[in-house]
Amino acid sequence: MPVITAAIDPVTRIEGHLKIDVQVDTVNGVQQVVDAHAVGTLFRGFEKILENRDPRDASIITSRICGVCPTSHSVAAVLALDAACGVGGDTPERTNSRLLRNLVHGACFLESHLLHFYLLSLPDYITGLPMAPWLPGWRMDKRLDKAVVERFRGNYLKAVEQRRNAHEMGAIFGGKLPHTPGYLAGGFTAVPSANDQALFIGYLNGLIGFIRDVYLPDMDLLGSLYADYFQIGKGYGRLLSFGVFEQDNGASPALLLQSGRLATEAGGVQAVNPALITEQVTYSWYEDSQNNLHPSVEDTRPISPKGKAYSWLKAPRYDGLAYECGPLARMVVSGQYPYSVSVMDRHRARAREALLLANAMLGWANDLLVGNSAYTPCDLPVAVTTAAGLTEAPRGALGHWVKIRDQKIAQYQVITPTCWTISPRDTAGNRGPLEQALIGTPVANVDQPIEVLRVVHSVDPCLDCATHVMRAGAGAKIHALGALPGRK
Amino acid sequence: MVVTRRAFLRYCNLAAGAIGLDVLHLSKLQTALGRPGAPSVIWLHGSSCTGCSVSFLNRISDKPGEPADVAEVLANHINLIYHATIMTSAGDTAAAALKRAQESGNFILVLEGAVPLAFGGRCCISYSYAGREVTHAQAVQELAAKAIATVCVGACASFGGIPASGSNPTQAVSVSKLIGRPTLNISGCPANPDWVVWAVVQLLLAQNPVLDADGRPVALYTTGHDGSAEEPIIHDKCPRNPGNTGTLVATQFGQNGRCLEHLGCRGPHTKARCNASWNGIGGHVYPQAHPGHWCIGVNAPCHGCVEKTFPGPQSFYEPYEP
Repeated sequence: MPVITAAIDPVTRIEGHLKIDVQVDTVNGVQQVVDAHAVGTLFRGFEKILENRDPRDASIITSRICGVCPTSHSVAAVLALDAACGVGGDTPERTNSRLLRNLVHGACFLESHLLHFYLLSLPDYITGLPMAPWLPGWRMDKRLDKAVVERFRGNYLKAVEQRRNAHEMGAIFGGKLPHTPGYLAGGFTAVPSANDQALFIGYLNGLIGFIRDVYLPDMDLLGSLYADYFQIGKGYGRLLSFGVFEQDNGASPALLLQSGRLATEAGGVQAVNPALITEQVTYSWYEDSQNNLHPSVEDTRPISPKGKAYSWLKAPRYDGLAYECGPLARMVVSGQYPYSVSVMDRHRARAREALLLANAMLGWANDLLVGNSAYTPCDLPVAVTTAAGLTEAPRGALGHWVKIRDQKIAQYQVITPTCWTISPRDTAGNRGPLEQALIGTPVANVDQPIEVLRVVHSVDPCLDCATHVMRAGAGAKIHALGALPGRK
Repeated sequence: MVVTRRAFLRYCNLAAGAIGLDVLHLSKLQTALGRPGAPSVIWLHGSSCTGCSVSFLNRISDKPGEPADVAEVLANHINLIYHATIMTSAGDTAAAALKRAQESGNFILVLEGAVPLAFGGRCCISYSYAGREVTHAQAVQELAAKAIATVCVGACASFGGIPASGSNPTQAVSVSKLIGRPTLNISGCPANPDWVVWAVVQLLLAQNPVLDADGRPVALYTTGHDGSAEEPIIHDKCPRNPGNTGTLVATQFGQNGRCLEHLGCRGPHTKARCNASWNGIGGHVYPQAHPGHWCIGVNAPCHGCVEKTFPGPQSFYEPYEP
């Protein structure tokens, strides 16, 4: 049987536009993925949109990169702006700024994790409610009995409510979510009241209960029924985290979830040196003169079509190597999860991170200085200034790099977690992390490769975030599923 | 929690007055939802951030007869056959459902995101069908020509929004600019879920809301949460308006409760019913359950995200002159 080339377009239950091309062959008697291309299908060019704007606008504009991790972009932007404007010191305003930024960001993490597990991932394992948009679905190996299906369906509906509650909780200080106006260069707009604090803690206690008593047990049950997925989707096994959630007001604050990277188990957790990050564009629709540059000097010059390029996602590499990021990377480098990389490990680390974070948020909410401003007055630098803001979105490492000239944005670069994880091949021809993770995935039914979707969803792709993404011209050999010659 | 479609209609009978439906509306809604051939809804993403979809998931209401949350909206109110973020099916199965509805013509089209035209529209591919990639611009042209009605949700679909701002690197345009005729616009960044549900239900009832020059339903900013008349301009209902309340004008952020006009607030130039309207039950205030919020309530400036001038080239932190 020849190698079958098939495409899933659109990949649904993600944020944004993604197409997956896979080649499937039978190896050692098992039909499986032997090659993969991850292809985004949207390019918006936020870096160009930001040029010549007031640098302080970056937190408002970049929030709109993504409706699922908006506050993560705002955090990255204000970290860069605080650095550029010289905001520092151990003051009550800085304390409230840190706490409010953490609490609204944390609310969005919890929202995203619940959304991801129940609404985006579970339909790969259970059949949903008997109507659109849950029907039709793909045929799958049903390993869940009726009682388990009913349990998951019921908890899906509870999760709809709980993820909404997480956003309502964040809006107490953020005003509206997604896209809060709260994050400012120098701090945060809200001045917390005792009522705000009580309301926030009320919501948070409900979420902690749901995560502990429903989400984690559901995750463990799914993991036990699909234990083979602890061996599927392993990929390179290289993990990267920038770290997130500041715990003090110092210049290099302690973080709840640590910065670090892990290339091999023997090598252990190593420090991240941002100077070793480059973006490669050999297979991306950007001018080759932009190849292999550090994001602080990188430009975004689209060109299409271009030779063998197949994506507008650039390929970020750390010291030349592809890394995946996300909750699993954060939890492993923080010593909170054993080093094990797979579909189910990603889901389980995400669930455990949700509980760890929610409990920490309770402490931050109690620490709020009621009635105190969260803003430190600051001025934009007059001299040419470059600054970086490194943080984490729910789905992984996020970096913003800004160059300010004449108090305007001269240059802006964003590397999103999805750029790391869903990146195309690099200059050396090495696959991106998701492309690699798909290799070896067994596929029972090539027309409806549910197994491929399970691997894709485990990394929680957010193509809206991957601002440099686009599908190249389709080759004649690529066919949509169900439209393969002689197949239906 | 999820009621059946029939139970929903029973609620409507009991509570028609409370949701502003007269008997004629009710019978139409029953007809609209009850018949097997009721219009379905297609929700398509263009150059967007998915934020309007996430906002849609934040739907909550305690009004009798109204769907309490998004699960009820989906189970009982609208037959949402295509929405890439939440639908189960993928790939060709998903695209085929879209094509079937397109051919039937019996659907309401909800569009999120701007329409980029650069690179032949190929910087936003909507889906593949029969081996052919369909750009978002093509998909919108084809679907809007067949739809019973087209609703733009959010700033990007309505007016171009952020993708079309600055140097507009992808030559993004609004839906109405692409198709060359006016659209019903539920603007905002994101669109408020109550406004979206309201608009879709109006269309299912074959009602045509009165629109302003920018295609926005006038009722959504002239009517308060309790149905009474409301000041349309944000500044005129702002608790920090110095003229109304004698508050001081802020000289920097962190000055609790002061007017932010000098710090970039666009409230004087923005028409919206935002007060107590976000991330909670519309109109509820603390200590009521699920109080609604707004940007003004957290000492933040209004960024004017419902206006077609959003974001514009001007700083969000300097005094705003449209």
